[in-house]
Amino acid sequence: MERVNEGAEAVMYLAKLGSEAILIKSRNRKPWRISKIDTEIREKRTRREAKLLLSARKAGAAVPGVAAVGRYSIFMQRIDGVLLKDSKPAAKDMLTIGTYLANLHANGITHGDFTSANIMLTPDGPFIIDFGLGAFSNSEEEKALDLLLLERSISKKDYTNALKGYKSVSKEYLRVISRLNEIKKRGRYQSRTLA
Amino acid sequence: MAVLGIESSAHTFGVGIVDNGKVVANAKAMYKIGSKGMIPKEVAGTHIKNAPMVIEEAMHEAGLRFSDIEAIGYTKGPGIGYCLHVGMLSAKTLAKKLNVPIIPVNHGIGHVEIAKNRAKLKDPLALYVSGGNSQILKRYGMNYKILGETFDVGIGNMLDSLARALGLYPAWGSTVEKTALEGSYVDMPYTVKGMDFSFTGMLTHASKMRGKKSNRDICFSVQETAYAMLVEATERALLLTNSKELCVCGGVAQSKRLKEMLKGMADEHRVRFGYAEDTFNADNGAMIALVAEKMLASGLSERLSDCSIEQRYRIDGARLWKE
Repeated sequence: MERVNEGAEAVMYLAKLGSEAILIKSRNRKPWRISKIDTEIREKRTRREAKLLLSARKAGAAVPGVAAVGRYSIFMQRIDGVLLKDSKPAAKDMLTIGTYLANLHANGITHGDFTSANIMLTPDGPFIIDFGLGAFSNSEEEKALDLLLLERSISKKDYTNALKGYKSVSKEYLRVISRLNEIKKRGRYQSRTLA
Repeated sequence: MAVLGIESSAHTFGVGIVDNGKVVANAKAMYKIGSKGMIPKEVAGTHIKNAPMVIEEAMHEAGLRFSDIEAIGYTKGPGIGYCLHVGMLSAKTLAKKLNVPIIPVNHGIGHVEIAKNRAKLKDPLALYVSGGNSQILKRYGMNYKILGETFDVGIGNMLDSLARALGLYPAWGSTVEKTALEGSYVDMPYTVKGMDFSFTGMLTHASKMRGKKSNRDICFSVQETAYAMLVEATERALLLTNSKELCVCGGVAQSKRLKEMLKGMADEHRVRFGYAEDTFNADNGAMIALVAEKMLASGLSERLSDCSIEQRYRIDGARLWKE
């Protein structure tokens, strides 16, 4: 088993299940926080993330398939591609990304960290990955925040296309956008850009 | 060169003097926060009363004469308008009288720079935690970037409000920390979104627990949860920016528990972790003098008539000097 990536949230291992390559996302212990908070966060997020991945797929978004779930780890399909943040996407891809997000939102799923670092471009089209901070939520605020994070992480042109895709599917487009504008007006956020 | 800095953004009127990056004086007088929090007019009134004395005290501590002062820095913002005005007026008066340049300074930059200075760090990721602000910051070229931030109130503000809601005195964060010793954990809402976080939900939840759970348990749980949120967001920023150094600064950086948790996280990633002594984490004039000195060396002084305050002076909009 090969350790491929150490994020803040979890460690990713690459393994073989039969002939298929799978990723194991394991939330390891963080000894700096008290164990009650630590165990609860790791358990809750693992369970929630697995459920989110399954529901997201049903909602019509391309996401990694789930093979198995442990107490602190998820065994999932490995997606082969390039992160959106490291590529120049076609307009078509951005449209698809927008429709995926609208599908998720329509089914009460918010991603929670919807940036170009969590979208992967593959020959089979874009995939949304890492639902580690996602939620089952119909809150307009959460939905607007998904758009805000996307907007902050990509170029204006790419965002315009993604928004077009979002609008073409979403039945709550106007409400989410008006919430997004409200969030931006809150003093603290006027000058925020993503590093 | 000796530069005098004046800080008055909130409850502290501070005057510090820095000589070639070395702090030679750091005098301050604080407004005592009662059960009603900070009433801007009253705090400003206290500053007006204290200003001459604190300036005297700093000069005495440094062993300097006014003729040794080569520039005056003051906090332009962010902060409470009434309070900022007192500092600006003191600074303008001194600058005019001594005929030296005047330099408006961003308060948050002061906190980060004094931490870098005291902990001898070069290019750290900074967790800036105070009453009004909670931000994760990194300098890129001529700008500080805000990587993560509170969606609502600063953590210090939340802890102060909690202290008031629970009837603790003095009503601020250090009392919460003392009360929290040996508490046991009760569930609190935990809100982190990427590198941003939110505290008001927890505050409401915890305030409603008054009388149902012991203050000790409430304080312990709020503190553990809030700090865990901050450390998690900071850890994410640390990995994203690939920083090799980390510092914590601002009033809440005085918390032993927060520093302990950050150190644990930093050690895991083999990142150097540092911070300033408590007196430099609480609001102080030395940090303003320190930044003013750097800005002066880059020719970033302001005409007296153009000096202003800005209550919402964002750190990412502040002018920086060449390193």
